[in-house]
Amino acid sequence: MNNAILKVNDLKTYFFTSRGIVKAVDGVDFELRRGECLCLVGESGCGKTVTALSILRLFDSPPGKIVCGKISYDGLNLTRCSSKQIRQIRGKDIAMVFQEAQSALNPVLTIGDQIIEQIKLHLPLDHSMARDRAITLLSEMGIPSAERVMSYYPHQLSGGMKQRVLIAMSLSCDPQILIADEPTTAVDVTIKAQILDIFRELKARRQMSTLFITHDLAVVAEIGDRAAVMYGGKDVETAPVSEIIENPKHPYTSGLIECLPDTSKSTGRLASIPGATPNPIQMPQGCAFHPRCPKVMKICRRQEPPETTISKEHKVSCHLYT
Amino acid sequence: MTEMLPDKVRRISQHLRPNTRLINYYWQRTQRNKLAVCGLAFIIFLVALALIGPFFTLDPTAANFEEKNMPPFGFTIEQSIYNIETDEYTTKEISGTCEHPLGTDSKGRDMLAMIVSGARVSLLVGLIATGIAIILGTIIGVLSAYLGGWVDNALMRFTDIMMTFPFFLLLVLIIFIFGPSLAFIVLAIGLTGWTGIARLIRSESLSLRTREFIVAAKALGASDNRVIFRHLIPNVISLIIVIATLSIPGVILAEAALSFIGLGDPTVPSWGIILEAGQYSLNTAWWVAVEPGIMLFLTVLAFNFLGDGLRDAFDPKSNV
Repeated sequence: MNNAILKVNDLKTYFFTSRGIVKAVDGVDFELRRGECLCLVGESGCGKTVTALSILRLFDSPPGKIVCGKISYDGLNLTRCSSKQIRQIRGKDIAMVFQEAQSALNPVLTIGDQIIEQIKLHLPLDHSMARDRAITLLSEMGIPSAERVMSYYPHQLSGGMKQRVLIAMSLSCDPQILIADEPTTAVDVTIKAQILDIFRELKARRQMSTLFITHDLAVVAEIGDRAAVMYGGKDVETAPVSEIIENPKHPYTSGLIECLPDTSKSTGRLASIPGATPNPIQMPQGCAFHPRCPKVMKICRRQEPPETTISKEHKVSCHLYT
Repeated sequence: MTEMLPDKVRRISQHLRPNTRLINYYWQRTQRNKLAVCGLAFIIFLVALALIGPFFTLDPTAANFEEKNMPPFGFTIEQSIYNIETDEYTTKEISGTCEHPLGTDSKGRDMLAMIVSGARVSLLVGLIATGIAIILGTIIGVLSAYLGGWVDNALMRFTDIMMTFPFFLLLVLIIFIFGPSLAFIVLAIGLTGWTGIARLIRSESLSLRTREFIVAAKALGASDNRVIFRHLIPNVISLIIVIATLSIPGVILAEAALSFIGLGDPTVPSWGIILEAGQYSLNTAWWVAVEPGIMLFLTVLAFNFLGDGLRDAFDPKSNV
């Protein structure tokens, strides 16, 4: 169970813009193990999405560039392989589900056209076989009268249905890894529960390895096995989800958890972490979190904290534990 | 809860609009603009006229000086005729006949036949030249937006340079150099008319390129070719249709204007050529100039109405 299927080592993705170098991802380490759901957690602008896009090299280049680091999948370094190789991996081995189903589907093609196209691209199936496969997939995702939905255009479906279509599409070629970029953010709560059910089922039935990106710790608690908390383009704490929730080490992680509304205590203001995510062009010196950290020390302003091992599965980058 | 939900989804999906192809939807929206429908009807009439009309009319090239300058059917004019034997001018009343319902020109050719074959030429000029311009403009616009970087810069600066030349003077220059053959005129109009189209297509593609479905298509392993042809271009088709409809009249007018200043192809009877010939006999035979003029006017109007209607139909923000 402990074998990594995807390994990201010291990944740095910078965007070279006219206003300066945006260090969107600045040294991220994690591994995704076979059959697990790893959650990348963090506020907006902490580099979660760029990390995901870097894995499939989907950011615009220029200005984006992976300046260093290694992403190993199946003995292949994804940061180095040719654009033809990565194209074959996209969708076939590693598939991605996007945040907004509305804009992730082509508005002028029918659902069927889009899924069939995707299947035919990677699998040696003819049109009718691909069609059958698409219909099966759609029904598996809980879409009623899938055959009729095949001839619908995206705008004729509800948000939840579109998200299901999108998941069906990304699963159409039996990928090894599924990257889900905030798939529950743009849908309402009932649909959110259903979408999470789908992911849970995928894990149970297909042993799908999922990299789940979210800012919502409640979602992490629902479906995650392990979580990596990101801040300022770095992963600051990695641990099993239960550890993260019950025994957070990094002040940022505990801040995030305190922000969750607690319904047992009904009075008082909701907690929040003061300040905002740092400007990625001008990261603070030392630990990127120190201007907002309640436990800030002198050393935090000067030196970047090294990664410390709390337990075998729990790693944190904070001077409190060095 | 999850057991109940598919049922709920089923109920919702029954309320969805009946499934129609997009083209039907847009046609319904276009239909609501009456002017656009009139325009379309006139264009269909014109195309039919151009396609099958010449089989039913007289020979547009057959000159007959006995019957020159005959007015259209229902009109009567006085014509002074020079008698060479008596060296006198006599006035004679001539009325239009059924045989030449639109009259004849100064060489006795049937105006109806000329107008009909002129429709063929003018429409062909409009379609082919616009086709060339649209294809060039789309390729340059899409490539420029999709590839970005130095390719974009090079293509757009080239477009800018092309745009600095006054369009009509450039046309005149090309025709002066290569001679006034219809093929060159069409080619010249097509090769100079793509600049604005390229700009429009580029800006539309630029906004499309960053849309998530393009990234999603790439994330699922689509190649650049596939992204361009399957995802980008189908999304600019509506824009292309509108631009094409709105630039056809411009092209027809450009050809007519060239003919009018004497740079048309004299061997092919386009409306512009007929008009140009008619301007010298406005005193004696006004219909020779007026008839092709009316046809040009109506055609340009029809295409513009249809283009406006299509633009509104394709624009999701307009409430037709």
